[in-house]
Amino acid sequence: MSGGAAAWIGRGGLALLGAALLAVPFVLPELGYGFWVNIVTEILIWSLLAASVNLLFGYVGLLSFGQALFFGFGMYGATLAVIHWEAGFWTGLLAGTLAATAMAAVAGALAVRLTWHYFAIITVVFSLIFYFAAMSNKTLTGGDDGLSFSAPAVFDMAGVTVTLADPLAQYFSVLGVVAACYAIMGVVVRSPLGLAFAAVRENDRRARLIGIDVYRTRLVAFVLAGALAGVSGALFAFFGRYASASYMVYHVSGEAVVWAIVGGIGTLLGPLFGTALLIVFRELVSTVWENYLFAVGGLTVLVVMFAPLGLAGLWRGALGRLTAPRAAPAEAPADPVAPSADARAVPGGR
Amino acid sequence: MSDVVLALAINGLVWGLIIALIALGLSIIFGLLDIINVAHGDLFMVGTVGGLAVTVATGSFWLALVLVPVLGFVLGLVLERVVIRPTIRQAALTIVTTFGLSMMLQEAVRATYGAQPRRMAPPIEGTVPLFGIDYDVYRIAAALFAALALAGFFLFLQRTKLGTWIRAVRHDPETATALGIPVARICGITFALGTAMAALGGVIAAPITTVEFRTGVDILPFCFMAVVIGGLGNLQGTVAAAVLLAVMEGVVTSVSDPTVARIVSLAVMSGVLLFRPHGLFAGATR
Repeated sequence: MSGGAAAWIGRGGLALLGAALLAVPFVLPELGYGFWVNIVTEILIWSLLAASVNLLFGYVGLLSFGQALFFGFGMYGATLAVIHWEAGFWTGLLAGTLAATAMAAVAGALAVRLTWHYFAIITVVFSLIFYFAAMSNKTLTGGDDGLSFSAPAVFDMAGVTVTLADPLAQYFSVLGVVAACYAIMGVVVRSPLGLAFAAVRENDRRARLIGIDVYRTRLVAFVLAGALAGVSGALFAFFGRYASASYMVYHVSGEAVVWAIVGGIGTLLGPLFGTALLIVFRELVSTVWENYLFAVGGLTVLVVMFAPLGLAGLWRGALGRLTAPRAAPAEAPADPVAPSADARAVPGGR
Repeated sequence: MSDVVLALAINGLVWGLIIALIALGLSIIFGLLDIINVAHGDLFMVGTVGGLAVTVATGSFWLALVLVPVLGFVLGLVLERVVIRPTIRQAALTIVTTFGLSMMLQEAVRATYGAQPRRMAPPIEGTVPLFGIDYDVYRIAAALFAALALAGFFLFLQRTKLGTWIRAVRHDPETATALGIPVARICGITFALGTAMAALGGVIAAPITTVEFRTGVDILPFCFMAVVIGGLGNLQGTVAAAVLLAVMEGVVTSVSDPTVARIVSLAVMSGVLLFRPHGLFAGATR
């Protein structure tokens, strides 16, 4: 009973979310919404890109506007592995993730020397350099038209081959990978490393004084975020059986920042809900209004104006009002280093 | 060969002066309000579209040259009041607000003006011989307009009361408040001025570029490069960097292709950010 009522509601919510996601490919087609299974898959994939923005901005305080670079490396790593080495799903995923991680290590070693606006700008600059390079190097990347490939195998053993062309195999591969990424993130942000992230975010000078290597902490976060974006890119390549340099443009990075902030930064699952809200909103509005991007932009502005803590902030507020009389005292004596806006009242939070 | 280099260098100079005007708008907004205005390129785009629309409607480019910046100023006042001011306390979030604004501006233009790229006939026809090549007269006129606007802006900033107030708020907003300067209104006016400069740059550039809802997406990185290489908040540095970059891109383009030129600029920018974070001209002007 240590967490109080709020934690129980959070755990229940998480279980409900998990059950709903497991049921998606069985229930939605039955109801005649088969098309939405793909939308849910897309949300899951893109949410990892938003999560990578969140890991940097929400947990270490560095706003990156260039995560599309690592998304692109993940995308091309996977695609080129499939095309040139006939890799399957898992090898391709690994290749994409490694490519993005390596790029993030190089870019991060330079970028995390800077903070604040300078950091935001240099991440855009790095992503633009590779965007232009990828656009012009058509033999390797296919440029704007991109490269396409046929669905690789997810499972190929004992004479049984299952490829991504099987809708269930595709959905559950994506769901499994995405869930694993969130689980790893959850472990990391609660570990001593996660506390070091929070210390650096809250006050980097004080963090340095208590013996934290600020540069290395930021670099580790940057590389982890790059790996997440890489997984997202690799999954997206498998989902579309396609990679294109156009996904490396800074607009993609910007959208990921919007999703993360709309969902609520500094919370583990906030980016998932932010991505879901905006993609579902886009899908619904685009069926009735050709200029739906106007509405998406408007929604973005309104959320920042009226709910700057995002959906997670709204949820936390509602939960606080619901359980305040009983839960508040139990929550009060928290970890002294714990950040003010951490994962506490989010589904899955402590 | 050297003719081509020269022509592209002159082209770079013309573009550099126009970009300087737009980047200066970005720079004053950044310096005073401490926000990264991602929608600035789209405000330039609104200027090009507005310039074409007013020219078509009234038949006079010169009227557009005056009217569109004034409309841009009003648009800037409204945007600052409605969108920027309520979110100014979360400085990082203004990137997101202006990103949303950028989507809205692009989509609003696409909905009303259409997605089709258009070309605008230059208001001054003809060419002049320049270092052995025939050069468009309008491009030279455009460079002059931009240079005049830049000079006018610096005069305004140095010689008028409003300009002095803007500099005072930039220097120390708290002292400025204590001295009775209406800081909130100065912020609004600064944002509007920046918008007007982007719009003016748009009208001047309309006859020498394609006019469509995506023009701002290409121009924005270039403006940021000028602002960063010139030194964030260093206004003269911004102008110098814009011209320098554009001429450099012009020269690199003559031996390679525009993409390589852009990558070279971006690499220069990374170097400046990492090793001279206060800009290439830090210490030279102050």
